[in-house]
Amino acid sequence: MPIIETHRLRKVFRSVERQPGVGGALRSLFSRQYVDKVAVEDVNLTMETGELVGYIGPNGAGKSTTIKMLTGILVPTSGDIRVAGIVPYQKRKENARNIGVVFGQRSQLYWDLPLRESFELLRAIYAVPRPKYEANMAFFSEILDLDEFMTTPVRQLSLGQRMRGDFAAAMLHDPPIVYLDEPTIGLDVVAKEAIRTFIAKVNEERGTTVILTTHDLADVERLCNRIVLIDDGRIVYDGALERLRMEYGTHRTLVVTLADTCEDLSFPHTELVEQEANVVHLKFDRRKITAEHLLRLVTERCTISDVSIVEPEMEDIIRRIYLEGYRTQAPTPAS
Amino acid sequence: MTAVRPYFEFAKVAFSREATYRFEVFTSIGSLLVRVYLFRMVWTALYFHNAGIRELTLAEAITYSTVALLMSLVMDIDQTRLLVSKLDDGSIAMDFMKPISVPLYFFSDGTGEVSFHALLIVPSLILALFIVHIQVPDPIVLCVFFLSFFLGYLVGLLMNFCLNCIAFWTLEIQAMQLIVTWITDLLGGEVIPLVFFPPLVQGFIYFLPFAAMYSTPVLIYVGVIGPDEYLRALLLQAVWIVVFGIGAVLMWRFGSRRVVVQGG
Amino acid sequence: MSTLAIWADVYKQYWRINFLTALEYRANFLVWFAFTFIYHATALAALYIVLREFPVMNGWSFSEMAFLYSLWMLAHALNNTLFLTVGDVPEHVRDGEIDRVFVRPLNPLFQILTTPQQIFPDELILAILLFILATIWAKPIIDVWFVIFMPLVVIGGALIDFAINLLIATCAFWFVKVDGLRWVAFQLEQEFTRYPISIYTKGVRLVLTFLLPYAFMNYYPATFFLDKTENALHLAPQVGLLSPLVGVACFCVAYAFWRVGLNHYEGVGH
Repeated sequence: MPIIETHRLRKVFRSVERQPGVGGALRSLFSRQYVDKVAVEDVNLTMETGELVGYIGPNGAGKSTTIKMLTGILVPTSGDIRVAGIVPYQKRKENARNIGVVFGQRSQLYWDLPLRESFELLRAIYAVPRPKYEANMAFFSEILDLDEFMTTPVRQLSLGQRMRGDFAAAMLHDPPIVYLDEPTIGLDVVAKEAIRTFIAKVNEERGTTVILTTHDLADVERLCNRIVLIDDGRIVYDGALERLRMEYGTHRTLVVTLADTCEDLSFPHTELVEQEANVVHLKFDRRKITAEHLLRLVTERCTISDVSIVEPEMEDIIRRIYLEGYRTQAPTPAS
Repeated sequence: MTAVRPYFEFAKVAFSREATYRFEVFTSIGSLLVRVYLFRMVWTALYFHNAGIRELTLAEAITYSTVALLMSLVMDIDQTRLLVSKLDDGSIAMDFMKPISVPLYFFSDGTGEVSFHALLIVPSLILALFIVHIQVPDPIVLCVFFLSFFLGYLVGLLMNFCLNCIAFWTLEIQAMQLIVTWITDLLGGEVIPLVFFPPLVQGFIYFLPFAAMYSTPVLIYVGVIGPDEYLRALLLQAVWIVVFGIGAVLMWRFGSRRVVVQGG
Repeated sequence: MSTLAIWADVYKQYWRINFLTALEYRANFLVWFAFTFIYHATALAALYIVLREFPVMNGWSFSEMAFLYSLWMLAHALNNTLFLTVGDVPEHVRDGEIDRVFVRPLNPLFQILTTPQQIFPDELILAILLFILATIWAKPIIDVWFVIFMPLVVIGGALIDFAINLLIATCAFWFVKVDGLRWVAFQLEQEFTRYPISIYTKGVRLVLTFLLPYAFMNYYPATFFLDKTENALHLAPQVGLLSPLVGVACFCVAYAFWRVGLNHYEGVGH
């Protein structure tokens, strides 16, 4: 049975329309005009235990609204929703036992005291039996390297350390599902990698289902084999990352190191996007011309010493989808 | 004229800002009226059960409390708290880089804020008259009262500014400010007219700055401080203005230097 | 683990963190204690000064007024020790931190009441000291009723205080900013518990008894324990013993409203 199931999930927010001016303010005392905003429409999600899913979309697309409904913070306007067999907003406490949440921008640790104290309080809140608690603490301390700052007051921790602490805090009670909201935001490269490694490890070793919401597509590329893309309240893509790249990544880049100056760098279906010294980046539409063909054309005209191919940037793909909307484009074979 | 212009703008901005807090306006007028009522009932009960001649008649006592409460609409405001909040979030560094006098900026902001609240005195007074009867002195006394009120306001403004400057050294000044507020209310004669204090204490209380804020103006209004004592009373207020004025200049100089040296 | 056991464990951890944090920020704690002390000291000084000049107030002497004050202070201090964190709800609603109570497997109100905040029962200790002094001075009748009901009355008073704070905090789900409301409520509480309510007009006495039952925090219990011949509404003197019930009733009303607020928040987000 899937661990997360939503069917035709819909959420509408109603707000009061503010009338401009004094006349409008007076008028609104007597009759109020409402404006309905559909935040989430017809969202059907199914996730199996142990999946690591990236949930992405532009700001205001409905990501956090969906997550809030899954975590029981918000009640849907209509539609079915079931997490680990429970309807979140009906059985909030049971649902809470099954989930862990990391809000990237807000910590659940207690600011003034050493990290350890926060864990003790959370242990009490989640009623984690002592042996399990010790075992988990040992596990997380090891893979997150917590020992070095376990007794430091949280307010003195660096962002990276605090985030590691937040992770351990979220998973202290062994939740089968974990929601991560912008977990790597603001972290330096080293810290990001540490967090990503941790997420992958927890997912592999403990079979924890992870839903990752992020704007950092490098997170997604590194961790997720499935992404769900939401735009304007609707699911626009739900499937493997590779397929998205294949379908939407219409352009690849041929990076050529020239051994000698080359006069003419224009080629069919190709754009010269960057040239630094003798390294040339040629972006080509792979629906119109294959890498092999282009390479042949290049070598006919120039002498090269090195070549590599760069796959389409996830950033570009996503940006195009945000801007243009999603259309399935099967790559047509090149001539 | 152009040199003064920016400060005028600051005051205007602060004024408009206060005007947007509609709910706060209602609650401050509302709570004032409740307290006017309360004081009337308390004084009435006290005077009813305790015969005797006192410094103030019942009518004067009620007038005293009402006038003091109306004054508090203006006096209770911490006008230079902008200093503290800017030190807290570090944005004061930006202000130092602008071609304006930073303390004057704070004073202008405070003036704008207070001006708005001063306007509230009018409706509050009108509504209060439904609850109590206030005595009105002669026009000359009234004028001296307004002068004394203004001087008392300055004492309060400068004293609070000095207190706010402590934030240059430690941001945890909230509790201390509250302590000063409560002491001011008691020793300044806002809650209880100083004339009712034990005689021994009265001796030196009148010389404290707190008395200069509330007690002096209101006692002038009610007539306890008579015309022959006006000069002395006003001079005492002026002395405190000078004292806190010097204090303000010194604290600002040393405090602002700290910011510039240490960074945000 | 049973819910009660979990609650006890969480509560224990909560107080441990409170104490540790208070110790950590010793200087800050001392300054706030100084404020608490001065706040109550000036209130009592004011009462003393007034009653020195006007010895009789509706039949209440200064020692009796001190007793009245100490009853209020006990209830208020108990509220501040146990239920103070409710005042943070509007801020949590504003910054979204309130979401967290939905995501943890505990009653939301209990979670809010056990959010560590550097609380220390210093005010409560002061209140107990004052109460002892006032009792010695005002000489209420110390019998079985006194011993059994005094703690209950204090708890009842604390619940009334808590209920009103909870009502105001719940308004934040609709209005977000409730500072003005909170300030007004506190001023009302302060002023109207200072003096015996018999000095007010009938309408006000009714309001303070049945609508905003501040009178049950200290006035009615005081009239009972001090064996006053009559109270403000000419009710039976035992009415003062109803404080605990009034407190519980107020809490139930406030809690029901809190549930409504939570549901509203879940429906509309923020």
